[in-house]
Amino acid sequence: MREAFAFARLRGRGRCSAFAVALATVCVLAGCGGSSGGDATASTGGGTVNVGVASTLSGTFAALGVPGLNGIKLAINQINHSGGLLGHKLHLVTADDQIDPSTGATVTRNLILNHHVQVLFGSVSSAVALAQAQLAERYNVPLFLHMANDIGLTTTHFSKQIYEISTNTDMEPAAAALAFVKFFGKGPVRIATITPDYSFGLDTVSAFLHDLKKDGVTYTVTTQQTPQLGATSYTSNISAVLSSNPQFVFVGEYGGDLVTLTKQGIGLGLFSKAKVGGMYGWDVVKAVGRQMPAGVMAWNRGAFWAEPSTAMSAFVTAYKSAYGAYPDEWSINGYDAAEIWAEGVKKAGSFDASKIADALGGASVPTPRGSITIRACDHQAEVTEDTGIVASSVNPTYGVPLWSKTYAPPVKQIIEPCSVP
Amino acid sequence: MTLGTAARRGAIPAAVLVVLLVLPALLGATSLLDIQSAIALALFACATNLLVGYGGLVSFGQAAFYGTGAYTVALMWMHWQTSFWLGFAAAPFVGAIAALLVGLVALRTRRLYFALLTLAFSQLFYVIALQQEKFTGGANGVFGEILPGFLNGMNNAYYFTLGVVVVALLALWWITRSPFGMTLRAIRENRERAEALGVNVFGHQLLAFVFAGVFCALAGTLAVVHDSSANPNILNWTESGYPVFMAVIGGQYLFLGPVVGAFIYEQGRDIVLANSNDYQLVFGLLLLAVVLFAPDGVLGMVVRAGQWLGRRRGGSPLSPRDGDDVASDDRAGSETTVALR
Amino acid sequence: MTLSSDIVTMLAAMTEASYLFIAAAGLTLVFGAMRIINIAHGSFYMYGALILTSVVGGVAGGRFWLGLLAAPLALVGIGAGVEIGVLRRIYKRDHLVQLVATYALFLIFADIALHVWGSQPRSVNPPSPLDGSVVIGSGKFPSYDLFAIGAAVVVGAALWALLQRTALGWRIRAAAEDPEILAVSGTNVPLLSTSVFMIGAALAGFAGALAAPLESVAPGLDATIVVSAFIVAVIGGLGSVVGAALAAIIISLFDTVGVIWVPQWSSAFIYIAMIAVLALRPWGLLGVAER
Repeated sequence: MREAFAFARLRGRGRCSAFAVALATVCVLAGCGGSSGGDATASTGGGTVNVGVASTLSGTFAALGVPGLNGIKLAINQINHSGGLLGHKLHLVTADDQIDPSTGATVTRNLILNHHVQVLFGSVSSAVALAQAQLAERYNVPLFLHMANDIGLTTTHFSKQIYEISTNTDMEPAAAALAFVKFFGKGPVRIATITPDYSFGLDTVSAFLHDLKKDGVTYTVTTQQTPQLGATSYTSNISAVLSSNPQFVFVGEYGGDLVTLTKQGIGLGLFSKAKVGGMYGWDVVKAVGRQMPAGVMAWNRGAFWAEPSTAMSAFVTAYKSAYGAYPDEWSINGYDAAEIWAEGVKKAGSFDASKIADALGGASVPTPRGSITIRACDHQAEVTEDTGIVASSVNPTYGVPLWSKTYAPPVKQIIEPCSVP
Repeated sequence: MTLGTAARRGAIPAAVLVVLLVLPALLGATSLLDIQSAIALALFACATNLLVGYGGLVSFGQAAFYGTGAYTVALMWMHWQTSFWLGFAAAPFVGAIAALLVGLVALRTRRLYFALLTLAFSQLFYVIALQQEKFTGGANGVFGEILPGFLNGMNNAYYFTLGVVVVALLALWWITRSPFGMTLRAIRENRERAEALGVNVFGHQLLAFVFAGVFCALAGTLAVVHDSSANPNILNWTESGYPVFMAVIGGQYLFLGPVVGAFIYEQGRDIVLANSNDYQLVFGLLLLAVVLFAPDGVLGMVVRAGQWLGRRRGGSPLSPRDGDDVASDDRAGSETTVALR
Repeated sequence: MTLSSDIVTMLAAMTEASYLFIAAAGLTLVFGAMRIINIAHGSFYMYGALILTSVVGGVAGGRFWLGLLAAPLALVGIGAGVEIGVLRRIYKRDHLVQLVATYALFLIFADIALHVWGSQPRSVNPPSPLDGSVVIGSGKFPSYDLFAIGAAVVVGAALWALLQRTALGWRIRAAAEDPEILAVSGTNVPLLSTSVFMIGAALAGFAGALAAPLESVAPGLDATIVVSAFIVAVIGGLGSVVGAALAAIIISLFDTVGVIWVPQWSSAFIYIAMIAVLALRPWGLLGVAER
């Protein structure tokens, strides 16, 4: 109606090009005002509470974002199945951040202001998560991060609305360094590195080398390769690594990039000439398949086969029947994040963000990965990595080689003291 | 043109401006931020259109200068703790220098080679921002209290953005109507003829490229006002595509076409993102529809509809063309030319 | 570094060059004959790879060859649809419009792929006779990569024969040189355009299928490959198939040598190479200046 009004008023005036500008602009502005008003009424009534997920659901990183979303969805469905939360049914609202901080901010703001979500689950990317954190802080909505794990999110950019459910970019390489000592000893060793030219990769590799030194490993670095994120060919990097003649190759790639690098590395003999370590979670091992080389050192944020417990096997069964696939580390972290939030709501007896923060700080929550404590000072979950050595034979149940040795570095040894400014 | 037509021509943009001025009183926070973002993008699109529409130079690399503007503000703040205002003042100059250097190389090439070479420059800036993490903050970019207290107020930020864009658009408009702008158009229409007449084609195109760089950098500083951050995504080639698409959607042969395109793009994007996860599909179909059925953009189509209505009613003929419209070049189809002349 | 590891390094560079060449050849062929820069070429490449993974399924081996055939054939159909449905309407319009139209198609194809094939990375193994490695001195090199290099040589030779030895090739070259004369000479230009576009799409699909065992096939592959293919085509000179071959080899070698000497700048190489070449030769290595 506002459009029609604007049109009628303006049509009477003149017939020059400027007329058109005004018409188009006013229509667009009016259209926007109309739509946001409509959303607000639709989402609040009926005793349901909206749960927002703003994550990466298209492009390369959808391979991480979608399983993460599936984990959250499973938890929400289970909660609704058993009667909801504080008597409310939960309704999931999802949005694609396109792995762009600006888009991420737009869709997150929309979830908060137009869909009135009571909780947010965040992005794959730390850059997007930093933008989301600013909004969570401003609008007082809890933000659970089950994938983005930049250390800045719980230190320099800390807000009490942010909960980091994954190991952060300090803890993950610290765990990998401990696993290195456990499986390969303290050297001396020649190390080459391949990491994406992305904050995550660059931070991870420098922290890993720093931690190795701290753990008493003697090493020299032969070459440090930083291929582009999402590259289709790593052969030149692999050749450069091989010609530097290392004994251990630290790989900071993940997801599809790690699959590509592994396949090209197998052909070029990377895995037979050196020990390799990387984030070989279920998603990657599954994609590489039976070719997966034995003896690789793997670490990731949740390996269901490495943590056999009744809670974990119940989760795996439920996930398998819901999605026809086994859960990877992203789904496990997503599921845990949703469970932890729900527990916080129950403890607080309210959806209020400040009450949840008080209830969850220092609390321990049972999850498939075991009991997880949320550190009171910075809301970093006290979690560790699953690490292991890839077995030489294919596991008959899963059709790919799993791990022959497993090791979960103690949380106390990888978590740094709280450094909230 | 007479004073009367000038007044009439100015009337509608002025009316729109009044609407934009009172908007903060009418709209909620999200909508206002979206409009603010569209206003900033309108400058980005118009600055790019100085090359694309007026110069016939399809640059797919303007994000390089947009990002340069944003990073100038953010990096000066991060490394030297300078105030936002100093960065804001410096950004257009840094944008000019960057554009001068890129233009000197890129303008040696023509047409699609130029488009793809500017794209390569944009990508080069992008990978540098990603890889030189110590200096640029890497993929996470620069976050923090970049903005002064004044700009943290939502209405202040909105009015600041609007003010900067209005002044910048007036300056751009003046440039397009100056003898320089006319020559630029003459080069686009017929480069060989302009050369034969003794026009320094390279010099004019380089100056246009520098002007575009200045205003793109200015738009980049407004992105910092909106996001209070700078990150490498704003340097990516896909980001370079947006202002070009905005110009095409709105109409690249009208000065205000890209402004309309920016609003349609930004508002449409928010609506689609809010209601569906098929953003790419919807945006792709929209672009395709505009390209196939509205060859001179949405604004061009509206103008044409206005002309048609005027003729049907037997009203007075259109005010004579006086350079406000950009004539389409010979490749753009004769129908466009007829409609806009 | 030993001699055998040098050979392996160079061969690895040639593998990368092989599918870059095939993808860029399609792009450059279409540009030469039709003066269209097709951004959706990246989508065609990704579709080729995705179709191959679908045909192969979980089965390793025999069905691979079927997939390698099915992928370009399917792309011939998709290419024909795009040319007749969209491009034919905008030949008379300027380059910008064509770029925007093909970018729109790129977006649409990306979203359709997400719905059809999902977001998880897909992966196929090389068929059994090519699954292993050949030993070169103290190094080893994957047999499949040798096959890919061979396939690129065969495709290059076939394209050369097509362009130089057939009536269709003569018309394509004539279209590249002077479209007006071709129209006057009685050639059915729309049919020619459709044929060329189908060949270009098939080349993209074949390149994607050929590269599938070497990489993980996932959303986003389209954007990565189209930028690389553009750069190769532009450095070689738009319209020149030989130039594309030359540029693919140069880029791959540059990349391979570069990462050993200055690894921290590796992802910038390709752009620096393009800027350097175009600064010295504005029409690419073997391109012809446009009138």
